[in-house]
Amino acid sequence: MGNSISRVLGKLFGSREMKILMLGLDNAGKTTILYKLKLDKIKTSAPTVGFNVETVAYKNVKFNMWDVGGQERLRPLWRHYFPATTALIFVIDSSDHDRMKEAKEELYSIISEKEMENVVLLVLANKQDLKNAMKPQDVSDFLQLETNLKNQLWCVIGSNALTGKGLMEGLSWISNNTAKK
Amino acid sequence: MGHNDFLSNAVPVKVNTLNFIPPKQRELKKSPSMPSFYKFENYTKHRSASINRSSIQLHDTNTPSRIPELLQEPPVDTVSVEDSFVDLYIDRNEESPVRSVFNRASSFQSTTLKRRSDITDPQHFDRYGFKKRTQFITEEEYDRWWSEYSQYCIRRKHKWRNFLLKSGLSLKNDLPEKFPPQSEKLKRYVRKGIPAEWRGNAWWYFARGDEMLNKNKGLYSKLLKKVEENKNNKNIIQDLDVIERDLNRTFPDNIHFYRESFQKEEPFMIQALRRVLLAFSIYDTEIGYCQSMNFLAALLLLFLSEEKAFWMLVIITKKYLPGVHSVNLEGVNVDQGVLILCIKEYLPELWSKMEASMLNTTGQKSISQFEILNKLPPMTLSTASWFMSCFVGVVPIETTLRIWDCLFYEKSHFLFKVSLAILKLSEEELLERKLSISQSILATFSNESLEHINSHGSGGSANHRSRPRVEDMTQDDYDMLFFQVIQTFPKKLLNPNDIFEKVIFKKKMTLNKLDQEEIDKVRKYVSSQRDKWARFNKVLNKDSSNNGNNDPGNKMLYKNLDDTSSIQEGTDNISLSNEEVMDTLLSEVSGFKRISLSGVNWNNSIKIRVKNIRQKK
Repeated sequence: MGNSISRVLGKLFGSREMKILMLGLDNAGKTTILYKLKLDKIKTSAPTVGFNVETVAYKNVKFNMWDVGGQERLRPLWRHYFPATTALIFVIDSSDHDRMKEAKEELYSIISEKEMENVVLLVLANKQDLKNAMKPQDVSDFLQLETNLKNQLWCVIGSNALTGKGLMEGLSWISNNTAKK
Repeated sequence: MGHNDFLSNAVPVKVNTLNFIPPKQRELKKSPSMPSFYKFENYTKHRSASINRSSIQLHDTNTPSRIPELLQEPPVDTVSVEDSFVDLYIDRNEESPVRSVFNRASSFQSTTLKRRSDITDPQHFDRYGFKKRTQFITEEEYDRWWSEYSQYCIRRKHKWRNFLLKSGLSLKNDLPEKFPPQSEKLKRYVRKGIPAEWRGNAWWYFARGDEMLNKNKGLYSKLLKKVEENKNNKNIIQDLDVIERDLNRTFPDNIHFYRESFQKEEPFMIQALRRVLLAFSIYDTEIGYCQSMNFLAALLLLFLSEEKAFWMLVIITKKYLPGVHSVNLEGVNVDQGVLILCIKEYLPELWSKMEASMLNTTGQKSISQFEILNKLPPMTLSTASWFMSCFVGVVPIETTLRIWDCLFYEKSHFLFKVSLAILKLSEEELLERKLSISQSILATFSNESLEHINSHGSGGSANHRSRPRVEDMTQDDYDMLFFQVIQTFPKKLLNPNDIFEKVIFKKKMTLNKLDQEEIDKVRKYVSSQRDKWARFNKVLNKDSSNNGNNDPGNKMLYKNLDDTSSIQEGTDNISLSNEEVMDTLLSEVSGFKRISLSGVNWNNSIKIRVKNIRQKK
């Protein structure tokens, strides 16, 4: 309800609303991030089979955030439902070195889709609290975004969904890097 | 624990009615505590069965034999309340395996309170070990509801007992293994809820678990052996990692699945869950492991022995929800198509809104049923998970269990019925929220605009803005609201009777006419429609690549569909075999019993076309 109020007010006073899709491999921490942002609470989260959608207000921007189940075989269920996405948040479990390659492949397969042509890409190198976590810079190097994504705005930010570190920075980056309508 | 408050005022004899404790997993670990309501006789039988059978030991490698002690335990009805806490909350790893029931009560004081943190204080958990409080329900709300619902459970159990006795069935040890033959009365009883501690047996009985088990004696042990031998071999157990990642995320709010920091070993339930899922993944390689099966298996494990839970998982995925968990997800897509047709048929108002939303997203002026069935509307993103997990995690646990009762007795059409019921209730919620939003918008608007005016020193800037009204809600806004309602509303359905009494038991509601036969017919119809789509698409893609046309979109498809000759000419490769033509003819009517079906016109045009094809042959 409060959201709609702010939406109406937003229309009056120039705030914005954007659709954000949050993807990543299963167990990367997408749902935890969503509810940390939404409720500032850690929700013990179970694997997401469908999706969660929440609106998160940050400064004068309202983010409609879609968090979609991660297991590979469930991806066909949602692949084609997100045409009007402003930004893509791709969440990576920085501590899972074994699956880094899989995450990279998944990321490229998503952003190569037509619907994703114009989105801004935020990569959250999540789980920075874990000892063996790769540093955001290393994740960024590994993903080779610099060489491969020349026409797209992107950014890699380290995050910790448990403390919320990096999440606001992420949203703020998105809002600063998307056109004001 | 849920029955805490309740039990203190309860009629003593009935105490065990609500004293639910998951059966066998506890008995398998070296827990000193037997489920207090649990049938000793049955328990013994089961254990000895698994021990005798065991070419390998199923689950209890480290369980010392303690049957004699258990048999000496006092009759269930006299077991104290504290005792039941101990059953649930004792740290199984550190307790000596044998302990009489009498000192268990005191161990509750010393062990449970001392060791458990606040988080696991029994009063925060329900009778199945789930945390009462969720994101959407407070503990107070839970307790308030439970104080009434537990009374309802007692009344129902009383009726069940009488029913079974009248049917000449044994209630020995309060754990019947057989249930009356199918009848309207039994259906009504099941719909009103099976007593929690009978659930495992009742589900097993209704789903004909014994048939399955007898056909496959010893197979589960063999599968476990194979799993054990290949536990590091990802070539044989491909889903090893995927399963592993989900284990600790399954029921993290349930005391049986939750691992306390002081526990050295992982909870027994997690181990059992791992075995069931791994065994299943090599048993049915077409399915392997699909997220959501972890929830199904975990809930089964709370009510059935490990082996039975395994076979029930097989039965659910094969018999009740065929194809829903298979790799290509076609089963779940078909069921979503069926659900969409059901909405169209039984919830026309909701349907018109969904249609508007689809038109808005696609920018099309109209959208055909054929297309809808194949490019399922976004709502099915949500509802697909309802089917895959059979509502586990979608609605609160007691409601889930009531749905499962009916699922096993009435088969899969009940999932559609419940989905429709929930959607119907969501619709009301949606209207309410829309209304309250509009009111608060109006209220806020007038306040804020005043402020705005004041802060800007003049009303000029605000004056020309029109007042927002409900109708101002854009389609996008409405969709967002709709998704949120669909997502959160079911999670608030704490009281199962909100669904059952408000919808399912209302004879006047047309959706209650839905039955299994209808669902099966519609499933067949949707499935054939989707097949056709796939085949046409294949051909069209080929055509378009020949023509250099890169847009094998729907418009093109419709052109072809509307023009039989083009199908004939352009595509020698769509030679419909007689069988396929018959199939199409058979599946024309989508299967609803009502004759005035909105889709019929469209179906008729297909019918004519197919007839033409046939004649040309």
